[in-house]
Amino acid sequence: MIITFGLLALFFASVVGVLQRNRTVDQSFTDYAVGGRSFGARYQAMSFLNTWYPGSMFTAFGALSVTAGVMSFYVLSYSLLTVVLLFVLARPVWIWGKAYDLRTQGDLFALRYGSRHIRTVAALIGIVSGLPWLVLGMQALGNLFQAMSLGTLSFSTSVVVGVLVIALRQVWTVRMGMRGVVISDYLQGIVAYIGGGLMLVGLIVWLMVARGSTLGTLDPKMFAIPSFGSKEGPLYLFALMFTGALGGWCWPYIFVRLFTADGVRSLKKSAALAVPLTFLFGIALLIFGMLASKVPEAVAKPDDVWFIVSHQAGGLVLLGLAGVVLLAASMGHTDGNIQAYGAQLANDLVGNYVRLEQRQMIVIAKVGMLLLTLLASWLATLTLPALFSLAVLAYQGIIQLSIPQFLGIFWRRGNRQGAFAGMILGFVTAVGLEVAFGGHLPFGYGLTSGCFGLAVNLLVYVACAYLLPHSAEEQRRVDDLFTVIDANREGRVAVTPQGRPAMA
Amino acid sequence: MPIQRSPAPLRRGIVKLWFALDAIVALAPPLYWAADGRTTPIAGIPAALFYFLAVSLCITASLIAAYVLDATDEGVAA
Repeated sequence: MIITFGLLALFFASVVGVLQRNRTVDQSFTDYAVGGRSFGARYQAMSFLNTWYPGSMFTAFGALSVTAGVMSFYVLSYSLLTVVLLFVLARPVWIWGKAYDLRTQGDLFALRYGSRHIRTVAALIGIVSGLPWLVLGMQALGNLFQAMSLGTLSFSTSVVVGVLVIALRQVWTVRMGMRGVVISDYLQGIVAYIGGGLMLVGLIVWLMVARGSTLGTLDPKMFAIPSFGSKEGPLYLFALMFTGALGGWCWPYIFVRLFTADGVRSLKKSAALAVPLTFLFGIALLIFGMLASKVPEAVAKPDDVWFIVSHQAGGLVLLGLAGVVLLAASMGHTDGNIQAYGAQLANDLVGNYVRLEQRQMIVIAKVGMLLLTLLASWLATLTLPALFSLAVLAYQGIIQLSIPQFLGIFWRRGNRQGAFAGMILGFVTAVGLEVAFGGHLPFGYGLTSGCFGLAVNLLVYVACAYLLPHSAEEQRRVDDLFTVIDANREGRVAVTPQGRPAMA
Repeated sequence: MPIQRSPAPLRRGIVKLWFALDAIVALAPPLYWAADGRTTPIAGIPAALFYFLAVSLCITASLIAAYVLDATDEGVAA
């Protein structure tokens, strides 16, 4: 235990040391919420990865590859498509962010649709949908600390220890805001995905050499993909990948990465840096899981496959390093979440209706993060049997942001009536279907409730766009927004701050 | 302020088409239905796994190519 917990403590201290060395006083809320739009491509790439791939990649998706085999590769497909969308969104979103001083996803909705109330709706959907995932992330640390204690700690005690550690880590997230998140993501990302990737390659070699587990020796069932006749339905994988790729940019903590870069160039370069890392890490993790299906202990406890194989292959030191990798991934995801939601509380909810000075906004964001950390920590220590179902349901809900978000960015005709009505009806459709059919739609051929919600959402949005055309004044306002993007194409012409527009 | 157009619309077109191809090969159900349960080796890799690896490689290559072409455009425009 001294070795495993010692390695964790050493890594935790290193992260805190890096953060302490980089402490600065934020001059404005923009500094606090988006790090002053000051980060280059390498920081952006690691920050994206560290927020995108949580610690549960090693537990939940590791387990999926052990039990379901090649089907688990869907997570890699949609993760890569999400990076493609980063490249596509980079120019319009960064330019609007810089020109109009946008700090949150809700700010972009408000700007595009000329309504401050839509900022509230987007923020509420984001926060409510994200909370179950935040709690799940904290609970996942229970697996980590139980494994590090070599089974000495009970699972409930391990969850409490995990929650205490991650809550302590949030002291620096609250103090330093986005700057702290991105700087720590850089170190945590290197450890989790480069260090973790190298460990995975070593473990794959060990599984092949020491355990004789190769692709050719795997059970043929490991190569099944849900198709006709499967219990999931033939369109199940499509639904997972489609909603996964679109939904990625609906999470506020992912979307805000588009505002933290120092330019369009850095964002695009970060996509080019992130994509091979995503590719190599994803392949290594999923093939590792498939090969580990030949390890009986891993099959018996698939959620712990990462720890079990590391322990068997390299003893306590490798087990400790496996813990460090998972802790690095978990910290990055959790602090990104809490920072984004704190900024939304201050900017999109309180600041949307009360005029606040910059310092007051920062204080409210900090208090919000603290309260959110305490709430999620408390929830994580409870036994909540419906939490995972709620988290899955939340995903079907949050993707309803995608229609007004993506179409709003690339299509001038969309209007606020369509955005409001589409989002709300799409959300209600998704929740209604989930409640009525409990997650498996008998008529869906594997399509999830979120897909049907998206169809309703799209139909309403497009119908409103054609049936309720913009007034001349609104058309001029929207055209002006798109002119700002055209005028600053590729960031080669400096982005001129336009000032925050008045909202209805 | 003059609007600066890309010096290489053809390259942009290729990137857009490649991104669309990414979406099709990753999402089109008939492709993964065809790979379902296939263990016949392609380049030594079971076909079902080969499908996912090929899709992932296609997306990865497209994004790197897009970045390189974009950087080339910028160099030409500078």
